[in-house]
Amino acid sequence: MSGRCCHGQTPSRDIPGPGKCLALPDGAPLPPGDYSTTPGGTVFGTTPGGTRIIYDRQFLMECRNSPGAKTPPSNLPDIPGVTSPSVEELKLENHHVQNCEEKVSTGEEEQFDMDI
Amino acid sequence: QNNKAAVLPAPPTRLKDDDSGDHDQNEENNTQKDSEKEKNDREKPQSTTKRKAVVPGPAEHPLQYNYTFWYSRRTPGRPTSSQSYEQNIKQIGTFASVEQFWRFYSHMVRPGDLTGHSDFHLFKEGIKPMWEDDANKNGGKWIIRLRKGLASRCWENLILAMLGEQFMVGEEICGAVVSVRFQEDIISIWNKTASDQATTARIRDTLRRVLNLPPNTIMEYKTHTDSIKYVCWPGGCCRLHVCSGSSVHGTGLGRNARVR
Repeated sequence: MSGRCCHGQTPSRDIPGPGKCLALPDGAPLPPGDYSTTPGGTVFGTTPGGTRIIYDRQFLMECRNSPGAKTPPSNLPDIPGVTSPSVEELKLENHHVQNCEEKVSTGEEEQFDMDI
Repeated sequence: QNNKAAVLPAPPTRLKDDDSGDHDQNEENNTQKDSEKEKNDREKPQSTTKRKAVVPGPAEHPLQYNYTFWYSRRTPGRPTSSQSYEQNIKQIGTFASVEQFWRFYSHMVRPGDLTGHSDFHLFKEGIKPMWEDDANKNGGKWIIRLRKGLASRCWENLILAMLGEQFMVGEEICGAVVSVRFQEDIISIWNKTASDQATTARIRDTLRRVLNLPPNTIMEYKTHTDSIKYVCWPGGCCRLHVCSGSSVHGTGLGRNARVR
């Protein structure tokens, strides 16, 4: 089960570019407790150290919108200015900022203004 | 998931202070010298509390490792050496899946919105964000200094790459830190074996890719005793400068040439 771009045998080739591989098809569930299975066929890559679970940025960002990713953790400590108190405001702000950033940071284009 | 079992909690030791090594050299040294007395006070970290193992939920996407978010903040006006590290560093929580990560991340402020002398740390579960942890004691870190306004985006890109196992260096990654400071912010990623140049080079190259670093970005690799500075050029990274000993702390090179 050597993924197309995710096994570490050949150091010059095995660093996948963002968004180029390993996206799990939408809705493909992972069977709980059986992580060696490869639903969708591309999430898992074999490396010399064993099987590794690899996700690219795009896939992780897509997971952010799933319902299970939005509920606050039950054990979130209350740290003023860090995790509290205005969770709703933070949500709105995060989404706003994220949306703005996504527009400018897709693909491989330069993310920084250079004025050195 | 066999790898998860290999990450065991290390014996509690002194939590590190400033990951960056950029500021407060004197405070740092003091901390190391007079830490013995306070060590006992500090050796009751949160991890001694019995915790239920964190596992991915049904239909969630498991991560290669469990990770723990930490937050630390230096109280203004008080010398570090007199502070309990337990008061300064807090565990926010541990997650085992992509979805659990987002639950924490979406309910934490972004680093660019933190105030004061603050840090977010994201380390593999069982590795404390401090030099003395067994996983870190032979290690080092890549450091990138950022002008204000970039930390949130760079931090997100950095930790997504770490969680998604984009660095391809086996077990080498320990964790990542974002440090909010007065005039600049610093992100860093820690690995276990500072002497493994193939690993550190691969981490450096992955950082350049996932952070979209512009040319001329200063990247420093630091261990306890050495610091090597690199400049990214379009064709690759060149070694700029080699320093030995802690005198490298506070050098102005990185600040002047940081990402603008």
